[in-house]
Amino acid sequence: MAVIELKNVRKSFGAVEVIKGVDIRIEDGEFAVFVGPSGCGKSTLLRMIAGLEDIDSGDLLLDGKKMNDIAPDKRGIAMVFQSYALYPHMSVAENMGFSLDLAKVPKAEIRRRVEETAAILQLTEYLDRRPQALSGGQRQRVAIGRAIIKKPAVILFDEPLSNLDASLRVQMRAELQKLHRELKATIIFVTHDQVEAMTMGDRIVVLNRGNVAQVAPPIDLYEAPQQEFVAGFIGSPRMNIIPASLAAKGDSTFVMTDLGWAIELPGRLPQDTAEQAGLGIRPEHVRLTSTQADFTAEVTLVERLGVESYVTIEPSGQQLVVRVEGNVDLSPGDTAGFMVDRQHCHLFAQDGTRIDLGGRP
Amino acid sequence: MSGLSLPEKQNAGAGAYVILLLISVYCLVPFAWLIIASFDSNPTQFIRWPTEWTVQNYTRIFTDEDGGRWLINSLVVVGGATLLVVVLAGLGGYALSRITAWWKLPFLYLILLVRVLPHTALIVPLYKVLLTANRGIESVTVNLFGARAAREIMRYIGLIDSYLGLIVVLAAMQLPLALWIMKTFFDGVSREYEEAAIMDGANMIQRVRRVLVPLAMPGLAAAGLFSFIFAWGDFLTPLIFTSSPELQMLPLGLFRAFLRVNSIDYGLLAALALVYLLPSVIAFAFARKFLVRTFSGGVKG
Repeated sequence: MAVIELKNVRKSFGAVEVIKGVDIRIEDGEFAVFVGPSGCGKSTLLRMIAGLEDIDSGDLLLDGKKMNDIAPDKRGIAMVFQSYALYPHMSVAENMGFSLDLAKVPKAEIRRRVEETAAILQLTEYLDRRPQALSGGQRQRVAIGRAIIKKPAVILFDEPLSNLDASLRVQMRAELQKLHRELKATIIFVTHDQVEAMTMGDRIVVLNRGNVAQVAPPIDLYEAPQQEFVAGFIGSPRMNIIPASLAAKGDSTFVMTDLGWAIELPGRLPQDTAEQAGLGIRPEHVRLTSTQADFTAEVTLVERLGVESYVTIEPSGQQLVVRVEGNVDLSPGDTAGFMVDRQHCHLFAQDGTRIDLGGRP
Repeated sequence: MSGLSLPEKQNAGAGAYVILLLISVYCLVPFAWLIIASFDSNPTQFIRWPTEWTVQNYTRIFTDEDGGRWLINSLVVVGGATLLVVVLAGLGGYALSRITAWWKLPFLYLILLVRVLPHTALIVPLYKVLLTANRGIESVTVNLFGARAAREIMRYIGLIDSYLGLIVVLAAMQLPLALWIMKTFFDGVSREYEEAAIMDGANMIQRVRRVLVPLAMPGLAAAGLFSFIFAWGDFLTPLIFTSSPELQMLPLGLFRAFLRVNSIDYGLLAALALVYLLPSVIAFAFARKFLVRTFSGGVKG
């Protein structure tokens, strides 16, 4: 049972402010993901919640109780580190039982809980081994076991999957979600990988340069990014952003791109909107067409992945990526026509914030 | 070499082995002489098979000579210095690894300079400094406890002609290298181990004792081994800083036995030399166990 609240939390390292006033509320039992590019402050924020970094100003509340000055081990929080940091001189059982041993729990009780935790994580047969005799995935599980053995209300994960190979990462993603359902603990998971964020999180906190860019469930982030930064960060390949000028045209909005073609979007342009804006279109929302093309362009690159293909075009020097289902019969140098899905266009003002057109759901 | 036929290659290989064998024999002869002569009842300066084997040379070290005392002196002084170096280098190396300060690198190079300078050149000013400090301590003790008691006390807390002075000087000479070894070692020990221990609820002392020291064992073994071997082999420092016969250490005992005017007692010298080099070998064998203990696997997959 733990609700985590951050209230206007700030942190500086020397003259550099790395966390610039963050307000987040994470609900009890939620699986929250902090995501952002490297240097955005996500790990620092996690370490502040853990108590490994001091909070310069603002409040950290756990279930309404201020935690700023409480020692890390007294917060009821456990953490899984990126490197796992398993003690190499201890066996798996000793690693998992270390926190209980420090808390002077009787040996028999430690043994019982280590075995119970090992059973959950399928580590029973490895209890007497040293960490260096385990595979990457097993070490990962020991690190998780060490975190959950004290039955913490909150578990923090700091990029825990980044040292695993791709197939193991997919497997551990599923295992972690299953574990979350069983433990019912509040989880904060830090990653720079937007696929991990999208697949695992109940809610995602997108961080950018020490600020919260957006907090939303995965699909909301994808469908209605509130900032150009979020639009570019979530989704792979990235959303295409095309400079354009806007003009109201009755109940719809006329978008003239700097690439020389225009489209009309449904919805009224809000008053006092600046003329210059960015038109955001995801690669999957541009279609190849021979008849109703909004624009034509020369193909510069075709990447075929089997299930889909990515076609790169460079009209007027701006690189755009188009996603096509299955294989595509194009090669570099060909000219093709493209049509934009008007229902899935995004507009961003010059300051990066989203422009919502009136009269649209 | 690819143009050579197989027999030619074999000949070249055999030639290399013959040369290597000759070099090895050349290197091993002094040791062979040492071992054989130490058990010979009538050894000479030439290597020869003894006509009569004996352990008398060894027993004489401890009966005729004061060898037992020399050995204990050496072990106390060098062991004390090594212990001091290991503790200080462990703590200091950790601090130097974790701190970020502008003076860190200049400081590290400065202390290494101390190690690089020939210590024969430093011995005179060092003696002056210790002598002055010793006089200071002496006058304070005399004032506090009177002249007679002060003489007894000075044997323990004095810096000249005492265990303490020798330990401090030997440790100071070995500390720079040991600090470098430990600083470099801790650079390779992830901070996440300590943070994991913090999250597990370990206080400062528990973190040091149950996490950092076990992690640092290979580094401490390396630093301790180097310190022990260098300090054990040091001849000049005990020569300059001690004068009492009861503080005489093994290298000085060996040297003085060699200098005796009447005749050179090869059997005793050989046995004494073997006794003198044995602790180094034991220290190496002991430290080797820790040196090879890798600790990969705790961090990363």
